[in-house]
Amino acid sequence: MKKYSIFISILFFTLSVNAQDFSKDIADAKSSYAAGKLADAHFSLEQAIQEIDMIVGKEVLKLLPAKMNDQASVEKDDQVTANVGFVGATVHRSYGDTTGSQVEIISNSPLIASLNSFLNMPLVGGMMRNSTTKVVKIQGYKSRLEKQGDNDNGKPNYQLQIPFKSALITITANGMDENAVMSFANSIPLDKIAALIQ
Amino acid sequence: MKKIIFLLAIGFILSVPATSNAQLLKKLKEKASSAVNKAIDSKTGNETQENANSSSSESSSQSTSGNRPVNKGGVGLKNTAPPDVNAAMEDANKSFTANNYSDARYSVQQALMGIEIQLGHELLKSLPANVDGMDKDTTQDKVVSTQWGWNNMTIQRVYSDKKDKQCTITIGNNMLYSGLVNAYFGNAYAVESNGKDQNVKQVKVQGNKAIISYDESKGYTLIVPVGQSSMVVWECINFANEDEVMNTANAFNIDNIKKTLGEK
Repeated sequence: MKKYSIFISILFFTLSVNAQDFSKDIADAKSSYAAGKLADAHFSLEQAIQEIDMIVGKEVLKLLPAKMNDQASVEKDDQVTANVGFVGATVHRSYGDTTGSQVEIISNSPLIASLNSFLNMPLVGGMMRNSTTKVVKIQGYKSRLEKQGDNDNGKPNYQLQIPFKSALITITANGMDENAVMSFANSIPLDKIAALIQ
Repeated sequence: MKKIIFLLAIGFILSVPATSNAQLLKKLKEKASSAVNKAIDSKTGNETQENANSSSSESSSQSTSGNRPVNKGGVGLKNTAPPDVNAAMEDANKSFTANNYSDARYSVQQALMGIEIQLGHELLKSLPANVDGMDKDTTQDKVVSTQWGWNNMTIQRVYSDKKDKQCTITIGNNMLYSGLVNAYFGNAYAVESNGKDQNVKQVKVQGNKAIISYDESKGYTLIVPVGQSSMVVWECINFANEDEVMNTANAFNIDNIKKTLGEK
Protein backbone atom coordinates (compact mmCIF):
# COMPACT_ATOMS: atom_id res chain seq x y z
CA MET A 1 0.00 0.00 0.00
CA LYS A 2 2.86 2.33 0.87
CA LYS A 3 4.49 1.55 -2.45
CA TYR A 4 1.22 2.20 -4.19
CA SER A 5 0.79 5.60 -2.58
CA ILE A 6 4.39 6.54 -3.43
CA PHE A 7 3.68 5.58 -7.04
CA ILE A 8 0.50 7.65 -7.08
CA SER A 9 2.27 10.68 -5.61
CA ILE A 10 5.08 10.36 -8.16
CA LEU A 11 2.46 10.13 -10.87
CA PHE A 12 0.70 13.27 -9.66
CA PHE A 13 4.03 15.06 -9.44
CA THR A 14 4.80 14.04 -13.03
CA LEU A 15 1.39 15.19 -14.16
CA SER A 16 1.84 18.56 -12.55
CA VAL A 17 5.31 18.88 -14.09
CA ASN A 18 3.92 17.93 -17.51
CA ALA A 19 1.05 20.35 -17.28
CA GLN A 20 2.82 23.18 -19.04
CA ASP A 21 1.37 26.01 -20.92
CA PHE A 22 0.76 25.18 -24.56
CA SER A 23 1.06 28.77 -25.72
CA LYS A 24 4.40 29.13 -23.95
CA ASP A 25 5.69 25.99 -25.66
CA ILE A 26 4.63 27.28 -29.06
CA ALA A 27 6.18 30.70 -28.31
CA ASP A 28 9.44 28.98 -27.29
CA ALA A 29 9.34 26.86 -30.43
CA LYS A 30 8.83 29.95 -32.57
CA SER A 31 11.71 31.88 -31.03
CA SER A 32 14.05 28.85 -31.23
CA TYR A 33 13.04 28.28 -34.85
CA ALA A 34 13.61 31.93 -35.73
CA ALA A 35 17.08 31.70 -34.12
CA GLY A 36 17.85 28.59 -36.19
CA LYS A 37 17.93 26.32 -33.12
CA LEU A 38 16.02 23.49 -34.75
CA ALA A 39 16.63 20.87 -32.05
CA ASP A 40 15.33 23.24 -29.36
CA ALA A 41 12.28 24.10 -31.45
CA HIS A 42 11.68 20.37 -31.89
CA PHE A 43 11.80 19.82 -28.15
CA SER A 44 9.35 22.66 -27.45
CA LEU A 45 6.90 21.29 -30.02
CA GLU A 46 7.08 17.85 -28.44
CA GLN A 47 6.22 19.47 -25.13
CA ALA A 48 3.29 21.21 -26.82
CA ILE A 49 1.98 17.88 -28.15
CA GLN A 50 2.22 16.35 -24.70
CA GLU A 51 0.32 19.33 -23.32
CA ILE A 52 -2.45 18.81 -25.88
CA ASP A 53 -2.59 15.09 -25.06
CA MET A 54 -2.95 15.86 -21.36
CA ILE A 55 -5.76 18.35 -21.99
CA VAL A 56 -7.52 15.98 -24.40
CA GLY A 57 -7.19 13.16 -21.89
CA LYS A 58 -8.81 15.27 -19.17
CA GLU A 59 -11.62 16.28 -21.56
CA VAL A 60 -12.20 12.60 -22.39
CA LEU A 61 -12.38 11.75 -18.69
CA LYS A 62 -15.12 14.37 -18.30
CA LEU A 63 -17.12 12.60 -21.03
CA LEU A 64 -16.92 9.14 -19.44
CA PRO A 65 -20.01 8.07 -17.44
CA ALA A 66 -19.85 8.38 -13.66
CA LYS A 67 -21.16 4.83 -13.16
CA MET A 68 -20.70 1.48 -14.83
CA ASN A 69 -23.90 -0.40 -14.06
CA ASP A 70 -23.90 -0.21 -10.23
CA GLN A 71 -20.18 0.46 -9.94
CA ALA A 72 -19.23 4.07 -9.28
CA SER A 73 -16.13 5.61 -10.86
CA VAL A 74 -13.03 5.87 -8.67
CA GLU A 75 -11.86 9.41 -9.29
CA LYS A 76 -8.56 9.08 -7.48
CA ASP A 77 -7.55 6.43 -10.02
CA ASP A 78 -8.25 8.66 -13.03
CA GLN A 79 -5.10 8.83 -15.04
CA VAL A 80 -3.89 10.59 -18.19
CA THR A 81 -0.48 9.85 -19.64
CA ALA A 82 1.06 11.64 -22.60
CA ASN A 83 3.89 10.04 -24.51
CA VAL A 84 5.58 11.13 -27.69
CA GLY A 85 6.43 8.08 -29.69
CA PHE A 86 5.04 4.63 -30.04
CA VAL A 87 2.85 4.31 -27.00
CA GLY A 88 0.66 7.32 -27.65
CA ALA A 89 -1.53 8.92 -25.02
CA THR A 90 -3.53 6.87 -22.54
CA VAL A 91 -6.62 7.68 -20.51
CA HIS A 92 -7.67 5.44 -17.65
CA ARG A 93 -10.74 5.33 -15.38
CA SER A 94 -11.58 2.65 -12.82
CA TYR A 95 -15.08 1.66 -11.68
CA GLY A 96 -15.84 0.03 -8.36
CA ASP A 97 -13.13 -0.08 -5.68
CA THR A 98 -12.19 -3.73 -6.00
CA THR A 99 -13.97 -4.94 -9.11
CA GLY A 100 -11.18 -4.32 -11.60
CA SER A 101 -13.69 -2.74 -14.00
CA GLN A 102 -12.16 0.01 -16.06
CA VAL A 103 -12.12 2.00 -19.27
CA GLU A 104 -8.79 2.42 -20.97
CA ILE A 105 -8.24 4.55 -24.07
CA ILE A 106 -5.01 4.54 -26.03
CA SER A 107 -4.81 7.15 -28.75
CA ASN A 108 -2.42 8.34 -31.43
CA SER A 109 -0.36 5.21 -31.39
CA PRO A 110 0.95 3.54 -34.55
CA LEU A 111 1.07 0.27 -32.64
CA ILE A 112 -2.65 0.53 -32.07
CA ALA A 113 -3.18 1.26 -35.77
CA SER A 114 -1.59 -2.08 -36.65
CA LEU A 115 -3.39 -3.84 -33.80
CA ASN A 116 -6.68 -2.51 -35.16
CA SER A 117 -6.05 -3.87 -38.63
CA PHE A 118 -5.23 -7.16 -36.92
CA LEU A 119 -8.50 -7.02 -34.99
CA ASN A 120 -10.36 -6.51 -38.24
CA MET A 121 -9.04 -9.76 -39.77
CA PRO A 122 -11.68 -12.29 -38.78
CA LEU A 123 -9.61 -15.47 -39.01
CA VAL A 124 -6.47 -14.17 -37.40
CA GLY A 125 -8.06 -13.53 -34.09
CA GLY A 126 -10.12 -10.44 -34.10
CA MET A 127 -13.61 -9.92 -35.36
CA MET A 128 -14.90 -13.48 -35.19
CA ARG A 129 -17.43 -15.41 -33.20
CA ASN A 130 -16.79 -18.42 -31.04
CA SER A 131 -17.97 -19.58 -27.64
CA THR A 132 -16.42 -16.61 -25.81
CA THR A 133 -16.06 -13.89 -28.44
CA LYS A 134 -18.48 -12.08 -30.67
CA VAL A 135 -18.66 -8.97 -32.79
CA VAL A 136 -21.11 -6.31 -31.70
CA LYS A 137 -21.95 -2.83 -32.91
CA ILE A 138 -21.70 0.00 -30.42
CA GLN A 139 -23.20 3.23 -31.79
CA GLY A 140 -22.23 2.07 -35.29
CA TYR A 141 -18.67 1.11 -34.38
CA LYS A 142 -17.77 -2.55 -34.96
CA SER A 143 -16.40 -3.89 -31.69
CA ARG A 144 -15.20 -7.14 -30.16
CA LEU A 145 -16.89 -8.48 -27.01
CA GLU A 146 -15.13 -11.24 -25.12
CA LYS A 147 -16.34 -13.12 -22.05
CA GLN A 148 -13.47 -13.56 -19.63
CA GLY A 149 -14.64 -16.10 -17.08
CA ASP A 150 -16.50 -15.27 -13.88
CA ASN A 151 -15.61 -13.17 -10.85
CA ASP A 152 -15.51 -14.43 -7.24
CA ASN A 153 -19.29 -14.08 -6.92
CA GLY A 154 -19.89 -16.20 -10.00
CA LYS A 155 -20.92 -13.23 -12.15
CA PRO A 156 -19.43 -12.92 -15.64
CA ASN A 157 -16.52 -10.68 -16.61
CA TYR A 158 -16.42 -9.05 -20.04
CA GLN A 159 -13.95 -7.13 -22.16
CA LEU A 160 -15.11 -4.93 -25.00
CA GLN A 161 -12.66 -3.51 -27.53
CA ILE A 162 -13.69 -0.65 -29.79
CA PRO A 163 -11.00 0.16 -32.36
CA PHE A 164 -10.73 3.54 -34.11
CA LYS A 165 -8.06 4.51 -36.64
CA SER A 166 -5.08 4.91 -34.35
CA ALA A 167 -6.95 4.61 -31.06
CA LEU A 168 -8.44 1.78 -29.08
CA ILE A 169 -11.06 1.89 -26.33
CA THR A 170 -10.97 -1.12 -24.03
CA ILE A 171 -13.78 -1.57 -21.53
CA THR A 172 -13.26 -4.17 -18.83
CA ALA A 173 -16.61 -4.82 -17.16
CA ASN A 174 -16.43 -7.32 -14.33
CA GLY A 175 -19.35 -8.85 -12.47
CA MET A 176 -22.20 -7.91 -14.81
CA ASP A 177 -24.17 -9.49 -17.61
CA GLU A 178 -23.86 -8.77 -21.31
CA ASN A 179 -26.82 -6.40 -21.44
CA ALA A 180 -25.30 -4.25 -18.69
CA VAL A 181 -21.98 -4.10 -20.58
CA MET A 182 -23.74 -3.11 -23.78
CA SER A 183 -25.87 -0.44 -22.12
CA PHE A 184 -22.76 1.01 -20.42
CA ALA A 185 -20.87 1.04 -23.73
CA ASN A 186 -23.81 2.74 -25.41
CA SER A 187 -23.86 5.39 -22.71
CA ILE A 188 -20.32 6.53 -23.62
CA PRO A 189 -20.43 9.44 -26.11
CA LEU A 190 -18.15 7.70 -28.60
CA ASP A 191 -18.55 10.28 -31.38
CA LYS A 192 -17.45 13.10 -29.07
CA ILE A 193 -14.48 11.07 -27.82
CA ALA A 194 -13.55 10.13 -31.40
CA ALA A 195 -13.61 13.81 -32.41
CA LEU A 196 -11.26 14.64 -29.53
CA ILE A 197 -8.72 11.84 -29.87
CA GLN A 198 -8.45 11.39 -33.62
CA MET B 1 -17.47 -24.28 -36.25
CA LYS B 2 -13.85 -23.20 -35.90
CA LYS B 3 -12.76 -26.22 -37.90
CA ILE B 4 -15.20 -25.44 -40.69
CA ILE B 5 -13.93 -21.87 -40.93
CA PHE B 6 -10.37 -23.14 -40.97
CA LEU B 7 -11.11 -25.65 -43.73
CA LEU B 8 -12.94 -23.01 -45.77
CA ALA B 9 -9.95 -20.70 -45.43
CA ILE B 10 -7.50 -23.40 -46.53
CA GLY B 11 -9.76 -24.23 -49.49
CA PHE B 12 -9.91 -20.58 -50.47
CA ILE B 13 -6.16 -20.14 -50.18
CA LEU B 14 -5.50 -23.25 -52.28
CA SER B 15 -8.07 -22.35 -54.91
CA VAL B 16 -6.53 -18.94 -55.62
CA PRO B 17 -3.11 -20.10 -56.81
CA ALA B 18 -4.61 -23.13 -58.61
CA THR B 19 -5.39 -21.09 -61.72
CA SER B 20 -1.94 -19.52 -61.74
CA ASN B 21 -0.41 -22.98 -61.27
CA ALA B 22 -2.26 -24.18 -64.35
CA GLN B 23 -0.87 -21.27 -66.33
CA LEU B 24 2.61 -21.98 -65.08
CA LEU B 25 2.36 -25.65 -66.06
CA LYS B 26 1.14 -24.67 -69.51
CA LYS B 27 4.10 -22.33 -69.96
CA LEU B 28 6.51 -25.01 -68.76
CA LYS B 29 5.01 -27.47 -71.21
CA GLU B 30 5.43 -25.00 -74.08
CA LYS B 31 9.05 -24.31 -73.10
CA ALA B 32 9.85 -28.02 -72.86
CA SER B 33 8.31 -28.83 -76.24
CA SER B 34 10.08 -25.91 -77.92
CA ALA B 35 13.40 -27.09 -76.41
CA VAL B 36 12.79 -30.63 -77.69
CA ASN B 37 11.84 -29.33 -81.15
CA LYS B 38 14.98 -27.22 -81.22
CA ALA B 39 17.17 -30.23 -80.40
CA ILE B 40 15.51 -32.36 -83.10
CA ASP B 41 15.65 -29.59 -85.69
CA SER B 42 19.32 -28.94 -85.10
CA LYS B 43 20.00 -32.63 -85.80
CA THR B 44 17.87 -32.77 -88.90
CA GLY B 45 19.17 -29.45 -90.23
CA ASN B 46 15.77 -27.89 -90.13
CA GLU B 47 16.97 -24.83 -88.23
CA THR B 48 15.64 -22.12 -90.52
CA GLN B 49 12.15 -23.47 -90.32
CA GLU B 50 12.39 -23.70 -86.52
CA ASN B 51 13.50 -20.08 -86.28
CA ALA B 52 10.57 -19.00 -88.34
CA ASN B 53 8.26 -21.01 -86.08
CA SER B 54 9.71 -19.62 -82.88
CA SER B 55 9.52 -16.05 -84.11
CA SER B 56 5.89 -16.55 -85.03
CA SER B 57 5.14 -18.05 -81.59
CA GLU B 58 6.95 -15.16 -79.91
CA SER B 59 4.93 -12.61 -81.79
CA SER B 60 1.73 -14.45 -80.86
CA SER B 61 2.69 -14.49 -77.19
CA GLN B 62 3.49 -10.76 -77.37
CA SER B 63 0.12 -10.06 -78.87
CA THR B 64 -1.65 -11.91 -76.02
CA SER B 65 0.26 -10.07 -73.30
CA GLY B 66 -0.22 -6.85 -75.27
CA ASN B 67 -3.85 -6.80 -74.20
CA ARG B 68 -2.78 -5.70 -70.76
CA PRO B 69 -1.16 -2.27 -70.93
CA VAL B 70 2.26 -1.91 -69.37
CA ASN B 71 3.31 1.35 -67.76
CA LYS B 72 6.14 2.81 -69.85
CA GLY B 73 6.80 5.90 -67.83
CA GLY B 74 5.44 9.05 -66.28
CA VAL B 75 6.88 12.00 -64.45
CA GLY B 76 6.19 10.43 -61.05
CA LEU B 77 5.17 12.40 -58.02
CA LYS B 78 6.13 16.00 -57.46
CA ASN B 79 8.42 16.63 -54.54
CA THR B 80 6.24 18.69 -52.21
CA ALA B 81 7.87 21.22 -49.97
CA PRO B 82 8.11 20.21 -46.30
CA PRO B 83 5.39 21.70 -44.10
CA ASP B 84 5.76 25.42 -43.40
CA VAL B 85 6.81 25.40 -39.76
CA ASN B 86 5.77 28.98 -38.92
CA ALA B 87 2.35 28.61 -40.55
CA ALA B 88 1.79 25.27 -38.81
CA MET B 89 2.64 26.81 -35.42
CA GLU B 90 0.24 29.71 -36.10
CA ASP B 91 -2.50 27.21 -37.02
CA ALA B 92 -1.79 25.21 -33.88
CA ASN B 93 -2.19 28.32 -31.73
CA LYS B 94 -5.45 29.30 -33.44
CA SER B 95 -6.95 25.80 -33.16
CA PHE B 96 -5.88 25.56 -29.53
CA THR B 97 -7.54 28.86 -28.59
CA ALA B 98 -10.70 27.62 -30.33
CA ASN B 99 -10.52 24.45 -28.18
CA ASN B 100 -10.09 22.41 -31.36
CA TYR B 101 -7.44 20.12 -29.88
CA SER B 102 -7.43 17.52 -32.64
CA ASP B 103 -6.51 20.14 -35.27
CA ALA B 104 -4.01 21.78 -32.90
CA ARG B 105 -2.26 18.44 -32.46
CA TYR B 106 -2.18 17.87 -36.20
CA SER B 107 -0.65 21.30 -36.81
CA VAL B 108 2.04 20.76 -34.17
CA GLN B 109 2.86 17.43 -35.80
CA GLN B 110 3.19 19.17 -39.17
CA ALA B 111 5.54 21.70 -37.61
CA LEU B 112 7.58 18.86 -36.08
CA MET B 113 7.84 17.15 -39.44
CA GLY B 114 8.94 20.37 -41.11
CA ILE B 115 11.67 20.87 -38.49
CA GLU B 116 12.87 17.28 -38.76
CA ILE B 117 13.15 17.49 -42.53
CA GLN B 118 15.08 20.77 -42.28
CA LEU B 119 17.35 19.23 -39.65
CA GLY B 120 17.95 16.27 -41.94
CA HIS B 121 18.88 18.45 -44.88
CA GLU B 122 21.24 20.51 -42.69
CA LEU B 123 22.93 17.33 -41.53
CA LEU B 124 23.26 15.98 -45.06
CA LYS B 125 24.88 19.26 -46.13
CA SER B 126 27.42 18.98 -43.32
CA LEU B 127 28.54 15.46 -44.32
CA PRO B 128 31.74 15.13 -46.39
CA ALA B 129 31.50 14.97 -50.19
CA ASN B 130 33.79 11.96 -50.45
CA VAL B 131 35.31 9.43 -48.07
CA ASP B 132 37.98 6.81 -48.62
CA GLY B 133 37.89 7.19 -52.42
CA MET B 134 34.11 6.99 -52.55
CA ASP B 135 31.90 9.85 -53.75
CA LYS B 136 28.53 10.73 -52.32
CA ASP B 137 25.56 9.48 -54.29
CA THR B 138 23.02 12.23 -53.70
CA THR B 139 20.32 10.33 -55.58
CA GLN B 140 20.12 8.04 -52.58
CA ASP B 141 19.98 10.80 -49.94
CA LYS B 142 17.01 10.26 -47.69
CA VAL B 143 15.40 12.28 -44.93
CA VAL B 144 12.51 10.38 -43.42
CA SER B 145 10.31 11.88 -40.78
CA THR B 146 7.19 10.25 -39.46
CA GLN B 147 4.59 11.96 -37.37
CA TRP B 148 5.52 9.92 -34.32
CA GLY B 149 8.17 12.24 -32.95
CA TRP B 150 11.92 11.62 -32.74
CA ASN B 151 11.63 7.88 -32.82
CA ASN B 152 11.43 7.38 -36.51
CA MET B 153 13.52 10.15 -37.94
CA THR B 154 16.16 8.78 -40.25
CA ILE B 155 18.76 10.49 -42.38
CA GLN B 156 20.63 8.41 -44.92
CA ARG B 157 23.55 9.06 -47.26
CA VAL B 158 25.27 6.57 -49.55
CA TYR B 159 28.92 6.74 -50.67
CA SER B 160 30.08 4.52 -53.50
CA ASP B 161 33.15 4.00 -55.70
CA LYS B 162 30.76 3.18 -58.59
CA LYS B 163 32.02 -0.43 -58.53
CA ASP B 164 31.27 -2.70 -55.63
CA LYS B 165 32.49 -0.76 -52.61
CA GLN B 166 29.76 1.10 -50.79
CA CYS B 167 29.16 2.76 -47.45
CA THR B 168 25.72 3.74 -46.19
CA ILE B 169 25.57 6.11 -43.24
CA THR B 170 22.30 6.35 -41.33
CA ILE B 171 21.72 8.94 -38.64
CA GLY B 172 18.73 8.86 -36.34
CA ASN B 173 16.89 6.52 -34.11
CA ASN B 174 17.56 3.27 -35.87
CA MET B 175 15.12 0.74 -34.46
CA LEU B 176 16.79 -2.10 -36.32
CA TYR B 177 20.03 -1.79 -34.39
CA SER B 178 18.92 -0.44 -31.04
CA GLY B 179 18.30 -3.97 -29.75
CA LEU B 180 21.80 -5.06 -30.71
CA VAL B 181 23.36 -1.98 -29.14
CA ASN B 182 21.47 -2.40 -25.89
CA ALA B 183 22.23 -6.11 -25.74
CA TYR B 184 25.89 -5.41 -26.30
CA PHE B 185 26.40 -2.60 -23.84
CA GLY B 186 24.16 -4.40 -21.38
CA ASN B 187 26.18 -7.59 -21.21
CA ALA B 188 29.34 -7.23 -23.24
CA TYR B 189 31.05 -10.37 -21.99
CA ALA B 190 28.37 -12.61 -23.47
CA VAL B 191 29.16 -11.49 -26.95
CA GLU B 192 32.92 -11.13 -26.74
CA SER B 193 33.87 -14.61 -25.66
CA ASN B 194 32.31 -16.61 -28.42
CA GLY B 195 35.27 -18.63 -29.62
CA LYS B 196 38.22 -17.72 -31.81
CA ASP B 197 36.59 -15.20 -34.16
CA GLN B 198 35.08 -12.03 -32.83
CA ASN B 199 32.14 -10.99 -34.93
CA VAL B 200 31.18 -8.12 -32.66
CA LYS B 201 33.46 -5.96 -30.58
CA GLN B 202 33.63 -2.65 -28.82
CA VAL B 203 35.64 0.23 -30.27
CA LYS B 204 35.85 4.01 -29.87
CA VAL B 205 35.14 6.53 -32.60
CA GLN B 206 36.27 10.09 -31.81
CA GLY B 207 35.98 9.30 -28.12
CA ASN B 208 32.49 7.79 -28.43
CA LYS B 209 31.81 4.20 -27.41
CA ALA B 210 30.85 2.15 -30.43
CA ILE B 211 30.44 -1.40 -31.60
CA ILE B 212 31.66 -2.88 -34.84
CA SER B 213 30.38 -6.13 -36.28
CA TYR B 214 31.26 -8.24 -39.30
CA ASP B 215 28.98 -10.51 -41.21
CA GLU B 216 30.03 -12.52 -44.27
CA SER B 217 26.99 -11.45 -46.27
CA LYS B 218 26.50 -7.89 -44.97
CA GLY B 219 30.09 -6.73 -44.52
CA TYR B 220 31.08 -4.38 -41.69
CA THR B 221 28.59 -2.48 -39.55
CA LEU B 222 29.76 0.23 -37.18
CA ILE B 223 27.29 1.67 -34.69
CA VAL B 224 27.91 4.76 -32.58
CA PRO B 225 25.14 5.59 -30.11
CA VAL B 226 24.83 9.38 -29.90
CA GLY B 227 23.32 11.04 -26.86
CA GLN B 228 20.18 9.63 -25.34
CA SER B 229 18.27 8.14 -28.22
CA SER B 230 20.02 8.52 -31.56
CA MET B 231 22.73 6.55 -33.26
CA VAL B 232 24.97 6.78 -36.29
CA VAL B 233 25.34 3.59 -38.29
CA TRP B 234 27.85 2.89 -41.07
CA GLU B 235 27.13 -0.14 -43.22
CA CYS B 236 30.25 -0.89 -45.22
CA ILE B 237 30.18 -3.36 -48.08
CA ASN B 238 33.39 -4.74 -49.63
CA PHE B 239 35.75 -2.99 -47.24
CA ALA B 240 39.12 -4.75 -46.92
CA ASN B 241 39.43 -4.58 -43.13
CA GLU B 242 38.16 -2.83 -40.02
CA ASP B 243 40.85 -0.11 -40.28
CA GLU B 244 39.24 1.06 -43.51
CA VAL B 245 35.89 1.21 -41.74
CA MET B 246 37.36 3.22 -38.87
CA ASN B 247 39.07 5.65 -41.29
CA THR B 248 35.78 6.17 -43.06
CA ALA B 249 33.95 6.80 -39.80
CA ASN B 250 36.60 9.27 -38.67
CA ALA B 251 35.96 11.35 -41.78
CA PHE B 252 32.63 12.33 -40.20
CA ASN B 253 32.35 14.93 -37.46
CA ILE B 254 30.32 13.16 -34.79
CA ASP B 255 30.33 16.18 -32.47
CA ASN B 256 28.70 18.25 -35.20
CA ILE B 257 26.06 15.53 -35.74
CA LYS B 258 25.35 15.53 -31.99
CA LYS B 259 25.10 19.32 -31.93
CA THR B 260 22.69 19.41 -34.87
CA LEU B 261 20.47 16.75 -33.31
CA GLY B 262 20.54 18.58 -29.99
CA GLU B 263 22.03 15.55 -28.24
CA LYS B 264 24.61 15.66 -25.47
